This record gives sequence, structure tokens and C-alpha cells, in this order.
Amino acid sequence: MTFLATFHWGWLLATLLLGFAMGWIAVVHRGHGVSKHLARWLAALVAALLAAALARLVPGRPGYWLDLGLLMFALYLIGCGIGSWLRDRVLPGPASAG
Amino acid sequence: MRGLVRWSSKWWPGTIPLAVLWALAVWNSTSPLETELAGRSTAALKDILLDKSRITVSGRDVTLAADAFSEEGRRSAVAAIEAVPGVRLVNDETRLIPEAMPFVWSAERDVVRVTLTGSSPLPASKGKLLEAARADLGGVEVVDQTSLSRGAPSRFDEVALLLLDQVAKLKDGKVTISDTKVSLSGMARELGGREAIAAALKNLPAGFSVASNEIKAPPYIFQANKDPVALTLTLTGNVPDNNVHAAIVAAASRKFFSEKVVDNLKPSLGAPSGFANAAVPALGALSRLSTGTLVVSDREVKLSGDALYDAVPGQLRANLIKDLPQGWQLKADISVKPAAAPVDATVCQQLFSEVLAKGTIRFESARSSLDPDSAGLLDHLVEIALRCPTTNIEVAGHTDTDGDNAANQTLSEKRAQAVVDYLVKAGLPAARFTAIGYGSTQPAAANDTDDGKARNRRIEFLVKEQP
Repeated sequence: MTFLATFHWGWLLATLLLGFAMGWIAVVHRGHGVSKHLARWLAALVAALLAAALARLVPGRPGYWLDLGLLMFALYLIGCGIGSWLRDRVLPGPASAG
Repeated sequence: MRGLVRWSSKWWPGTIPLAVLWALAVWNSTSPLETELAGRSTAALKDILLDKSRITVSGRDVTLAADAFSEEGRRSAVAAIEAVPGVRLVNDETRLIPEAMPFVWSAERDVVRVTLTGSSPLPASKGKLLEAARADLGGVEVVDQTSLSRGAPSRFDEVALLLLDQVAKLKDGKVTISDTKVSLSGMARELGGREAIAAALKNLPAGFSVASNEIKAPPYIFQANKDPVALTLTLTGNVPDNNVHAAIVAAASRKFFSEKVVDNLKPSLGAPSGFANAAVPALGALSRLSTGTLVVSDREVKLSGDALYDAVPGQLRANLIKDLPQGWQLKADISVKPAAAPVDATVCQQLFSEVLAKGTIRFESARSSLDPDSAGLLDHLVEIALRCPTTNIEVAGHTDTDGDNAANQTLSEKRAQAVVDYLVKAGLPAARFTAIGYGSTQPAAANDTDDGKARNRRIEFLVKEQP
């Protein structure tokens, strides 16, 4: 993991920034969110992919791509989390209720 | 926290650029990542002994194909690559090199090249042996056809290097190590090579033994050529050592009374046993020929040439077979020189005097038996006597003044008679010869020096026309 992080730091940083921006926007975004039902399915899909990656089920290049994808996705989520939380702190009180 | 769950439902639009970013990352990084991992894996294997190792990287998975020399080496190679940061999986395609039973290595030399075949234990020793072969055999092409195998005896390299040194001493042949047995066959390059190889094999490390040593040596040749025109006796070829060399040259100078000895002999190892005991009598036989060649090749004596008169070939064969050591063979091809033109008494006397001026008929000390070294000289006297058949010859014996007169008188008579006997045995009519002894009564030189005494101990021939 450390090796992947050092080898792909540029891409990972970009992912983090992308997540941060998306998180920042999400707080004031008025569009539709993902339904709870779909969110569960998506979570199950991510969990399945994660399990496949940890079990090293996928061989060769696809295995590497999966690892990289999951790592980028995790950083995207962290970026989103930080972005949203910061925006929420910066916005004046009640407006955050949306 | 509830906020976070609420906001997270609106994070999905970012996944589209995320997917694009991921695709770009995959596109750009796969190949550099593989190169990087291949480099690191190769570096990790640097100190591990493998043959034909090949690393292929697909994503983060490394496939290692190699020939290992031990189970342990194989495991440590896989472990070393697993320890490389970034490597996800190692596909182990290593295998152990086959074990050779028995472990055979050989070096064969023919006219143009040396071929190494069989098994080598490690790439390092394979390289070292090839290198050593090239160095030892300067200029000869060396072909290495050995394959790597397990199961070499300990100290294999040392033995193989020692044997390569021996291959350098061969003209052609083969050396083989089979487990701890060493065998050699072939022909040594030089005389003494066989002995040098046998001596070197004593240095084999403990545990190794010589199963067979069938190295042959080139024939051991000694030659003597008598040239009556140039008046030379040329000795060529080999003698075992300086003592035998000196003995042979001394014998040659005694036996060949008028020829100059040209000594081109060189000392070499590898003489057949009894060499000196065969060469000296063979030289004696050659001294009785008018012209001839003696070739001693290993244990075979070849004598060819022209004898001075009819009785010689038979006598030579009979005597030489008796004199040669056991196990030696004689091949004699002797013809008789055509008789020279008859001469009258005066010329005959002159010829006798000339020959006797060049050489002295020798006897055993204080006895009347002829020294065999004088046979060549006596044969010349026989030849001269044959040329003047119408003469009578007085053979006169003389002594120095040592000892009492009566004894000297008797000795001189007996010695003269011994010479006459020799002439008669050669086929001359006994009636033509008279043996007379003068004791010390007719000195040719003063008896006060050893040299003078030696000149007084003599046989003289006096030729008279038959009445």
C-alpha cells in the first residue's frame, strides 16, 4: 500500500482534491441524492470488490487495476467527507439545514 | 454525523470524473509500474544462485522462472521477491536442476579442439573450468557442452582443474571424473608426459581415486647412424639420464675406433627398462658394420646395414639376441658388403698399419681375452686380410715392462694367438697366420710413463708374400 501511495501520489492527490471539491459542493447541492435502497446495493458492490481485492482473487493487470480503483475510491470518499464537513463548518448556522 | 450521511447521498456525481481519472491512471501507470517491479525483483535476486532466471511482471504479480541448485535456494528466491515492496503475488515457476547419478564430467582432446561434456555443478565452476581450459591449452579451441546438474562430489572443481592441466600434456585423449573416480586415456604429447601425469595424479584430493590411467607415451627412440664416408657416428634421440648418456657416449668412442662421435642425444623420461643394457651391445653390433643404422624404438632394436664379411650377420644376430635384456626384440636386416679389390703384400701391410695406428686391439686387463669393444677394429683387420689372400701374416704381441718377463712373454703369445683365433673364426685359413709373442723386448716407446706403456701394449701385423 505504501508503495502504491508513493508511486501514484499524483493521481491519488488529484482524487483527494476531486473528492474535496465534490464534498464541498454536495452540502449546498439541491439535486437528487442516491436512494437508500440503491446506496445499499452500491455498498454491497464495493464490499464485494474490496473482498476480491483483499483475497487477491483477480490475477495480473486487472487485479492491479482493481487495487488502484479501490484505493482511489477510498481517497475520493475521504476527500468528500473532509470537503462536506469543512463547508458545513464554514456556512452560517441554520443555512446548513438546506 | 447525520449530516455526513445526508451529504454523502449527493457525492455520486464526482464518481464520473473519478472513473475518468482512474482510467487515465491505469493507462499511464501500468507499464512503468511493471518495469519498476521487474527492476526491483531482479535486484532482489542478485545474491541468490540461480540459472536461467526469467522475471515477468503482470500488474503487481511477478512470475519467476528459474533453475535452482537446491530446494533452499529455490525457497529463498521466492521469498526475496515476495519481500519486494509493491509485489502482490509471486507465481513460482522455479525448478530444481536435475541430479546427475553418477556425476560425470569429462574433457576430450582431439587434433583441433578440446570438448568438455557431462555435468557441471554450478555456473561459476562451469565458467571457471572453461576459463582454465582456455588458459591451459593456449590456442586450442575449447567447446563447453556441459550442462548444470546437482550431485557433484565435494572438491569437484579442484579435481577438474587438476585434470585439465593433464589434458594440456596430451596429444589426444580423454579424462573423466565419475563421482570420485578419475579415469584417463590417450597419448601423451611428449616423452615423459605419461610419467608427469602419473605424478600429478598423486595430488588428487582425499576421497578421489584413479580408476584407470591408460595414457600412452610416444615411442622412446634412440638412433645411431654410422657413416663410413664422413667417418662419423651420429647419435640422436633420447637417453634416460646424464649417467646413461655419458656411458653410451663413452661406449661409442671405445667401439668406433675411427669414427668421430656426433652426440645429439637429449635426456628424456620414459625409457623402457633395461635401455642402457640394450643400447650398448646394439652399438657394439653397429660398430662391426661397414655402414649401418641402429634404431632402438621402445623395446625393439632394429639394426640394418652392410657387414664387412660373410660370417658377421650370423654372429651379430646370435650375440645380440643373447645380450639384449629379457622382453626386448631384435630385427636385423644385414647384408654383406661386396668384397673389395685384392691388393698386393705392400699395400696390405700399409692398410694394416693405418688401421692399427687409428685403433688398438684391447684385451681384458692382464688377460688374453679380447675386449668386445675391439670387435669393430678386428673386423676391419679381417677385411684387409681377405684382400691379400696370397700373403702370410705374422701377428706379433707386445707388452710393457710391468710384471715379470716370463709372464709378459706368455701373455704376449696368448694375446697374439687370441687375435689369430678371431681371424680364423672369421673364415680365414689358419695356415696364413703365425702368432708370435715378444713380451716387453721390443718397446715402441719408453716404459717410464703410462702413455708410453700403453703404446707398448700392442699387436702388430707383419705381411709376407707366400713363398
